[in-house]
Amino acid sequence: MTRRTPHDHLPMHPLSFRILLALTAGPSYGTRIVEEIERAAPDGRPLYPANLFRRIRDLLSDGLVEEAPSPEGADPRRTYLCLTPTGRAVARAEARRLRDLVGEAERHDLLVDTP
Amino acid sequence: MSAPPKGLGLYRALLRLLPGDMRRRFGHDMTALLADRLAQAATTRQRARIWAAALADLLVQSVRMRLVESELAPAPSALLIDLRHAAAGLRASPGVTAASIVTLGIGVGASAAVFSVADAVLRADYPVEEPERLVFVWPEVNGNKAMALLAESEMSTLQLVSGLSAWTLTLTGEGEPREVTGLLVAPEYFELLGVRPILGRGFRAGEDLPGAGAVVVLSHGFWVTAFGADPDVVGRVIRLSGAEHESREVIGVMPPGVERIWQDADVWVPLEGDRAAGLADDNSWYVNDRIARLAPGASLEEANAQVRAYAARIQTALPRTFSVEDAEAATVRRMSDALTASVRTPILVTLGAVVLVLVIGCVNVANLLLARSDRRHRDLAVRAALGAGRARMVRLLLLESTVVAACGGALGIVLAGALVAGLHRLAPPDFPGIDAVAVDGTVLAWALLATAAAGLVSGLAPAVRASAVRALSLVSGSTRGSGRNTIGRLTTVLVGGQVGLAVVVTLASGLMLRSFDRLMSVDPGLDATDVLAFKANPNQGDYPDGEAERAFFRAVSERLGSLPSVESIGGIHLLPGTRDNWSFPTFPEGFAVPEGAPTPSVNFRAVRDDYFETVGLRVVSGRTVGNADQQDTESVGVVNEAFVRDFWPGADPLGRTLSIFSPSGRAYRVVGVVADVHQHGRELAPRPEMYFSHGQLLWDHVGMWLLARVRPGTDVATIGPAVRDIVWSIDPDVPVSEMLRLADVVGQSTRGARFLTALLTGFGALALGLCALGVFGVTAYVTGRRAGEFGVRVALGSSRARIVRSAVARAFAPVAVGLGLGLVAARLASGVMDGVLYEVDPADPATFASVALLLGAVGLLAAVVPAWRASGVDPVRVLGSD
Repeated sequence: MTRRTPHDHLPMHPLSFRILLALTAGPSYGTRIVEEIERAAPDGRPLYPANLFRRIRDLLSDGLVEEAPSPEGADPRRTYLCLTPTGRAVARAEARRLRDLVGEAERHDLLVDTP
Repeated sequence: MSAPPKGLGLYRALLRLLPGDMRRRFGHDMTALLADRLAQAATTRQRARIWAAALADLLVQSVRMRLVESELAPAPSALLIDLRHAAAGLRASPGVTAASIVTLGIGVGASAAVFSVADAVLRADYPVEEPERLVFVWPEVNGNKAMALLAESEMSTLQLVSGLSAWTLTLTGEGEPREVTGLLVAPEYFELLGVRPILGRGFRAGEDLPGAGAVVVLSHGFWVTAFGADPDVVGRVIRLSGAEHESREVIGVMPPGVERIWQDADVWVPLEGDRAAGLADDNSWYVNDRIARLAPGASLEEANAQVRAYAARIQTALPRTFSVEDAEAATVRRMSDALTASVRTPILVTLGAVVLVLVIGCVNVANLLLARSDRRHRDLAVRAALGAGRARMVRLLLLESTVVAACGGALGIVLAGALVAGLHRLAPPDFPGIDAVAVDGTVLAWALLATAAAGLVSGLAPAVRASAVRALSLVSGSTRGSGRNTIGRLTTVLVGGQVGLAVVVTLASGLMLRSFDRLMSVDPGLDATDVLAFKANPNQGDYPDGEAERAFFRAVSERLGSLPSVESIGGIHLLPGTRDNWSFPTFPEGFAVPEGAPTPSVNFRAVRDDYFETVGLRVVSGRTVGNADQQDTESVGVVNEAFVRDFWPGADPLGRTLSIFSPSGRAYRVVGVVADVHQHGRELAPRPEMYFSHGQLLWDHVGMWLLARVRPGTDVATIGPAVRDIVWSIDPDVPVSEMLRLADVVGQSTRGARFLTALLTGFGALALGLCALGVFGVTAYVTGRRAGEFGVRVALGSSRARIVRSAVARAFAPVAVGLGLGLVAARLASGVMDGVLYEVDPADPATFASVALLLGAVGLLAAVVPAWRASGVDPVRVLGSD
């Protein structure tokens, strides 16, 4: 079996990418991840549980995130998640891909505000 | 901490749809996230939206994950291959395929059309802020302005309150003179609704003080039709007479839809009056209703708990106006519920009936597909032998039913469009929200859901059944596999269920038909054919004196009466057949008001010319009143039979007197008794009524409807132009409006019932037809399979009649069982129709018996025909072929 490189996961689904972004600051859990995503993109469509956790489940099975131990005093029923080194590398690769894409759009004057 | 939102237990239970690992790992977090979302919702509507989205999300994702994990999730290429096989399979039996598509198309189309009505009418979207927080306060009674002000100060659960009163105003100087529906409201009315004008401003505090309110806000529709959407209309002074003013300054224009809140207003004007007036001294008893906004955090239940104390306080202050029972029955009703109250139950009953029709259709298709899968036994066995797994077979067959359902759904959507167009024509124009009925996104979503459900329901049984086919049965060389009796049993069970459902639908339409029949047999009390009604009310400013106004009417009547096609002329201030009413506290001579009861309130009508003769109202005794009865002659009146029954039972009413407003008021001597008229619709019992001459009223002005009876054979519409000419030759500033056939007005009250009866009868017939088709199809299939047995029996000398009897007995058994179960279910469910039926018991034995007989007969016929055909087999041919 060949080992997958970060680039094999690209392009990422926007929601999966946002989940990874929400976890860059450290371990987190469902409701807090959603808060983080909605804070960063307040105009986005509201997130519902099954869609969010299906994405998280896929990220878990791809080895991009993993379960983290619950912090002291936290509700033990919550599942805490954190980024794996692969997950961090994939997030970086996706960010770079998007940056390149935006750069390309800029060169085509797509981001200049027309009067 | 606030309590967790309701219903999370259900969500937790539904999480079982997800794969186990996901549920175990994230179940708690998912529920917590939903709870969080629901806690953020401020209104019931928002909560409902979140629930709908969360359940759809759960359903979609669980199906998706389950598919990915099973063999059912096809690789794209395999899916294409299966799709091609499915299409080929369906083409191979075009009859079954076409019948299935049409059946599902009818079911989906009819249900989508009715759903569009339910959606538009029951979830009407009002262009106001949080419409679900708008309520009517004690809508059961009329009141005055002081009552509205008291509600605001007494009930902490209400934020703003406005009295509502509908008036007819006259607009002149803007093209033809016209009558305008004006709504008198508090200055805070638009703030209460949470709407902003698109032009100008709303009312200001103080504009409701006596004489201060010479301003008007236009509705969007009126701004467009009367002022050509003039952007400079604000600031103009228009001649709009009525409600204490002759002209008013236009101060604003509202966005479209605000007028739908109450009485379809053309314009809004301030409800003037002294704000300091007490309950008893405030004379504004024309305030028909009170609208309010619930205070932040207050619930409808809390407002309802407060309203009784409020009503009790008013009753104590005005014991002659309101009874203790009135006060105890006081409620606060949500605006949306109050506006749709009359149609809610009928629509839900119809929606229920049409969903059952859809289910009956699905059962038919399931039966057709079951029978077809049986014929395809060999094909499936070959597939099994070639290594097709059970999941693959289920997928293939489900795909077939999905293709059928998709075609049926597409047909259904087209059909729904046509049906909605038909509904628009059939529905009475005053059916609330009917204008908004359309095949929109929500209706398409319903059609899609119905289609998906139909595909699953009709495909699952055949798919599961056929997937049990074993390769081994191929080796046995016969197409008659071991599962064939199971198929027979399954179809019989389905037929029984179908008959049961058809009983429920047919019964609902039977009860509705019976109720409609009862309604139509009620004598409305008058003969409205050949009568034209119109309004021609002069401007009060131009006719300040009541005598001048009456002289105008006299001139119109005389000129109109001289037309050769006119037989008689009458006038009444409130047209029968409408919801308009005036009723006053009345004191009949010698009638003692029971202790603790309020003064009786009696319907009041002012009439002129030959009103009773013109509308064919029967005179029971004495004489009628008319133009000869004037201020300088004796005050006289006519009462109806209900009046005599209630106040002077057994006594001769002629010669007795009555007074209105106070026992010491002017006494009117009763000179005649007339028959009861169902003023507000056949379904409402006549109330005590009194009629006075227009010339003997206690006040100067009252708007009149003029009525002209034309000679039989003349179309009433033909005298319309002559009416206008006559009125305008006397005074060109008088608006001639609402020229109506009285028969249409009187018939209007039954149009709602006619509409719903037509809908339910249509669905009843559809259910019956589909059911007959189902029984026929299954009997044909079952008897066809017994052809060999029949052949042997014929060969052994059995008569054809005997064979038919045995075949019919077996085919009819599930029909009989379904009939019995259906009657029981219908009896249990018929209670919901209680509020819809007129003088028909929901358990009406005659209707139950007729429906049982009808369905029994249809079931029997549908069983006899194929059985007779199958029994005519040639034993040699049948035995030889097997």
